[in-house]
Amino acid sequence: MATNQELIEQWWKEEAPLLPLLHAFHDRDGFISEEAIRAVADGLKIPVAEVFGTVTFYHHFARKAPGQAAPRVCTGPACKYLGAPELLKSLEGATPMACAGRCDDGVPVLQGHEVRVGRTADSLEKTPSPLPPPNPGNVEECVFAHIREPERNTMEGYRGYEALEKARGMSRANLLALITDSHLAGRGGAGFPTGKKWEMVEQAEGEPKSIVCNADEGEPGCFKDRAILDYDPHAVIEGMAIAAHATGATKGFIYLRYEYPETFQIVERAMAEAEELLGDGFKLYLRRGGGAYICGEEGSLLNSLEGKHPFPRNRPPFPVTHGYNDLPTVVNNVETLASVAPIVMKGAEWYRGLGLGEHAGTKLVSVSGDIQRPGNFEAPFGLPLLTLLNEWCGGAPEGRSIQAVTMAGLSGGFLAGDDLDVTLDEPSIRAKGAFLGAAGIMVFDDTRDMVEVAHCAMEFFAEESCGKCFPCRIGTQRLTERLNGAAGPADETKWREEVHDIGRTMMATSACGLGVAAPNITESLVKYFPEQVAASLKNGR
Amino acid sequence: MIAEVKPTATATLTLDGVEVSFTEGETIYEVAERAGREVPTLCYDARLEAFGGCRLCVVEVDGMRAPVASCTTPATAGMVVKTTTDAIEKHRRTLLELVASENRENEVDELRGHASQELKSLLDRYEVRGGRFAGRQSGTSNSTDDNPFILRDYDLCISCYRCVRVCAEQEGDHAITMMNRGFEKQITTEFNGILKDSACTFCGQCVQTCPTGALGDRKAMRAESLPGEVEKTRTVCPYCGVGCSVDLLTKEDRLVGVQPAMDGPANEGALCIKGQFAFDFVQHEDRLKMPLVRDEDGELHETDWETALDRAADGFKKAAGEHGRHAVYGVASGRAPHEAAYTMQKFIRAGFGTHQIDNCSRA
Amino acid sequence: MSNPLADMEKPDLIFCIGTNMTECHPVAATRIKRALKRGAQMVVADPRRIPLAEMAELYLPIRVGSDVALLLGMAHVIARERLVDREFIDARTKDGEAFLEHVQQFTPEWAAGITGLPPADIERAALLYGRADKAAIYYTLGITEHICGVDNVQSLCNLALLTGNLGREGTGINPMRGQNNIQGAGDCGAVPANYPGFQPVHDPANGDKFAKLYGREMDGEKGITKVTALNRCGEGIHAMLIDGENTVVSDPDRHHCEHALRALDHLVVIDIFRTETAEFADVVLPATAWGETDGVCTNTERRVQRLRAAVTPPGEAKPDWWIVSQIAQRMSIAGFEFESAKDVFNELCGLSPIYAGLDWDRIEHGEYNWPVPHKDHPGTPVLHEGEFKNGRGLFRVICYRDPAEVVDDEFPVWLTTGRRLQAYHTRTQTGRAAGIDYLLSEESLEIHPDDLADWGIPDGGWASLRSRRGAIKIRARASNMSPRGTVFCSFSFSDVPVNILTGSGYDPVTETAELKVCPVNISPFEE
Repeated sequence: MATNQELIEQWWKEEAPLLPLLHAFHDRDGFISEEAIRAVADGLKIPVAEVFGTVTFYHHFARKAPGQAAPRVCTGPACKYLGAPELLKSLEGATPMACAGRCDDGVPVLQGHEVRVGRTADSLEKTPSPLPPPNPGNVEECVFAHIREPERNTMEGYRGYEALEKARGMSRANLLALITDSHLAGRGGAGFPTGKKWEMVEQAEGEPKSIVCNADEGEPGCFKDRAILDYDPHAVIEGMAIAAHATGATKGFIYLRYEYPETFQIVERAMAEAEELLGDGFKLYLRRGGGAYICGEEGSLLNSLEGKHPFPRNRPPFPVTHGYNDLPTVVNNVETLASVAPIVMKGAEWYRGLGLGEHAGTKLVSVSGDIQRPGNFEAPFGLPLLTLLNEWCGGAPEGRSIQAVTMAGLSGGFLAGDDLDVTLDEPSIRAKGAFLGAAGIMVFDDTRDMVEVAHCAMEFFAEESCGKCFPCRIGTQRLTERLNGAAGPADETKWREEVHDIGRTMMATSACGLGVAAPNITESLVKYFPEQVAASLKNGR
Repeated sequence: MIAEVKPTATATLTLDGVEVSFTEGETIYEVAERAGREVPTLCYDARLEAFGGCRLCVVEVDGMRAPVASCTTPATAGMVVKTTTDAIEKHRRTLLELVASENRENEVDELRGHASQELKSLLDRYEVRGGRFAGRQSGTSNSTDDNPFILRDYDLCISCYRCVRVCAEQEGDHAITMMNRGFEKQITTEFNGILKDSACTFCGQCVQTCPTGALGDRKAMRAESLPGEVEKTRTVCPYCGVGCSVDLLTKEDRLVGVQPAMDGPANEGALCIKGQFAFDFVQHEDRLKMPLVRDEDGELHETDWETALDRAADGFKKAAGEHGRHAVYGVASGRAPHEAAYTMQKFIRAGFGTHQIDNCSRA
Repeated sequence: MSNPLADMEKPDLIFCIGTNMTECHPVAATRIKRALKRGAQMVVADPRRIPLAEMAELYLPIRVGSDVALLLGMAHVIARERLVDREFIDARTKDGEAFLEHVQQFTPEWAAGITGLPPADIERAALLYGRADKAAIYYTLGITEHICGVDNVQSLCNLALLTGNLGREGTGINPMRGQNNIQGAGDCGAVPANYPGFQPVHDPANGDKFAKLYGREMDGEKGITKVTALNRCGEGIHAMLIDGENTVVSDPDRHHCEHALRALDHLVVIDIFRTETAEFADVVLPATAWGETDGVCTNTERRVQRLRAAVTPPGEAKPDWWIVSQIAQRMSIAGFEFESAKDVFNELCGLSPIYAGLDWDRIEHGEYNWPVPHKDHPGTPVLHEGEFKNGRGLFRVICYRDPAEVVDDEFPVWLTTGRRLQAYHTRTQTGRAAGIDYLLSEESLEIHPDDLADWGIPDGGWASLRSRRGAIKIRARASNMSPRGTVFCSFSFSDVPVNILTGSGYDPVTETAELKVCPVNISPFEE
């Protein structure tokens, strides 16, 4: 067993050393002891109190035995209806965890470095994550075009990096123009034009520059990044290397969520395979999160990488000028980066043409919940939502009908009734008060209690609120209490007024997307399901 | 040689319909403050990096989708800013109602600390009187911390992190930290212990920046029940040579506490344990109240000023008379004011024409 | 300080030597911490591994009393590596060539032999200081309380002159003064060599000026220092007026000091408490304290600030200036008809060139650093900008000298003394502040854990501490701040009168005692 000193020696000089060092202690001891925190603080010259505070921020860092060895059961919105609460009770020493990104074949149970999946304690099994099914609409794909090929996640199976070679043969200006021209935009949900972002980093002063791949896929109901990294990691690495060439970046980080331990190994292997090819000019690092939804927010992610308390950062300045270590940084989502190599090979026009109508390109959509065929699908922008749900995914289970779906995982709130008649693109969905975002869609059939679903969603936001800004920290708590009846007025008018006042102020004043988006849940609940709200208040919930 | 022409700070923005100039690097909040706007805030301390947590300082900026936090948003040329619209004021009121709902109480004695009335003042200003948004309260008071200086009543904490930030940014001590997330956020020390076992130096800066009195000056709070108003007198700390400006807190001629002067030129609001908490030697029972003279019995006895001053003067006259003017020596204090040192040296020089005078700097 | 406190946030390189700033000047230290966060680097030289050492880029654990050797070694490297500021030396200094030649012999290897430091660290310290654009030196009594205190200070000046680190923002030679108005006592002329405003007494023009002002002939010879005065009590010095100083506890060699005070015919003590020193007095006069007295003080950056009364003094306590004036009036000394502190201060401003631009009302907000030569002058935060007061900065050729006493078989351990965060001087003030005991209730001797074990003293047990002048009983405590062979305690607690032991020697120029070095013998205490 490595000594404290050996672990510190191994990491202290490395880039972004805090998380891997904490993981090293966590893995060695099964938890992070006081002694470990002191050793890390001393080794990295971070105040003890700060390391302590940061450790407590992450869900998965245990501070006492059995710690890492105890099972954690996903109780996310989809898994909740797949038997998660019962499974949680039946596993000794198990604790709940937020959506762990396995909604398409839940329920995942994380123990140590292993995820097992099943609906009951007896049926838990370690199986590879589901591969995206062949495109049900038979449309041309970009990201998933080759993902189903055998051994695609190995260097041999990938048969790629031609795009990198081609990109390296291009001038930065031409490469940037190509990406801009493709209309590729941030697929993590924010939709910022990728070419423009890269250009800003290329032009920003300060070195070294970095490419950060945001693989902290924490939005409930989203599991597309998992699929890409499990089955096509080289596509992402190649995308990062192309981004590095375009911007002059010399460092890259993949920030992967804690709950994907098998993915970590796959990516680690792929990175080792690619190391030589990437060359000395671009050094790649893989970092594992500690379990915190907010670390998917780019400012939090950067703070987390740097070993700081993972609060979102104030903007401006933006990461393009003040990112990792306050230097110019591209932060791109996994899917965005995975789209880059095909665009370089096939051209901007080809990519634009994949969308329907005036929409450019494709979007990966994760569909789960009460649906016949859950999974990841690559859809052209502009595809009607109902086509996806009913034709691609087979609609609601036998004998039931779709009551509501969530948009952007949970962040977009609910769509229901006539408003399901939208197309998969931001203008169409935003017109209904929701947004597409990272395109996690959870389906709830007509047997579900929507107030309960909303409560589960708001509880998630409350638990994941970082605690930095007042509207989100207090607002998510108060909305949660109003959804389960723990506090708040029993009178419906007053209840609606309080919920609406809180929600509106959260949307207007929250410091990051979490607090801005969370009230979409309550606002859409009240909009589509006023009777359920009234009934629930009447029943004294 | 032609002198280089520096770009002058002529940038302006429109603030509530009035054009105001600003210098590059200023935030909207700073510009608004300078222009006399009272933009509400709870997480702001001018000495610290802008944090953007409380969101009370949000303002409307033309062209922005949502209000922006004025404390973290840099002023830019041509910006059109509205600090007080109906919508903004409504959000502020809602935010204050939310904050009020998480505390056991929102009114504390001003002796708790320099900023302790900030929350209460804002609740008054926005006429927020609790009631709405009932629910669980946040924070857990640390009742095991028996230190005599700093009360840690976290039931009143609103997680503005001014204490954590002042400890890190201003003091560089990093004694306290933020534990957990969201509503469970808790200010604490390393391993959730007491201050004495942490890196805390008891400088009291956390107390003085706390806007709710969750952190309180335990020594000053001893005087909460004393009658009378709290008065403040600006002076300079009596300890080391840094010369920190402080405000003495008194209640009816009783010295009850000390607060740092945020505009003190030497300290800019900082203090240490001695300046903050070691003030009560002043009205200590051991103080000399009457002159003392040594009588024939060899002991010191209380007497009146006339007697004592005569004895003092006679002794010096006698010594100089018997042993010459160089026989009298003066030692001035490094702790008394100029007027003491000046009269001491004048006493020796004007009295004896010598320079038999020194001070205690050689010790 | 040559530079203002605010400048402490601006250097590229901070060199702290003989200053335990986080404990003794905590608020100034916060500025250093901010400078470090901004990216400044710090070199710390101190025999003890003080908190500043933990923040330093380079920590130099020098043997007590070896500062000159370290500084000569650094000067040698700076000269050898051609890091000298030629332009500055040529334009603004004198005797630079002699100094450069002098330091050629003092290699880091030579300095290492005396300081106990690795030569490479001395080399590195010199490079860090020499290469910085803005380098600032901070020191306290760890530099001055030696027999070679003046040599130490001048060695620091040599370094600054050599590299042009004077007269600019974020540079300078910056002594941190220990008491709230110790700078002011000097400003006011309470020193044997200077009239108020540092006007030398040996200058006949000053003598004439003050003869007129004070209405009597003045000696052209300077007076003796307090140290000498104490030595001559009963033999030349027969009466003393001591204001607000607990000489018996704070001064070195307590037995000698007590003996001296007893030898006086007449001792008058003005104080706020009945101190150990007051017990020797014939007359004890109760003064008003801080918080009860209006007045003026000057801080370590020469900032002149107002003190204000907030509460009524106890009993019949009176301001010091009133008491002194009353004695003077009873002796028919002219010019003591002051009616307020304001009267006194304004008289001072009228005769002190450095205060000429000030008066009571002008210092209301404390924005002036002296010198303020006239009413339109903005004050002088940074000294020596453009030129030195005396024309050119003088290099001094200095050699290393051993401390007055060095360790030997009988007294094999170095004792060094100092202060602690929670206590101030002899605890007449902090010892009477509620709650301080919670953090620091007694004094103890800090000893390296291995030494403690070697000497057979349990951690927390009693030890006997002896020097050539006496012995005390003290609790022993294991501490990694102390290096092996060096122990530390403060002089704050009167029940652990460590100044019974000290007093081995004095600086020949300033007569400051060598309080920082005292060879001692330590053994388990036996009843």
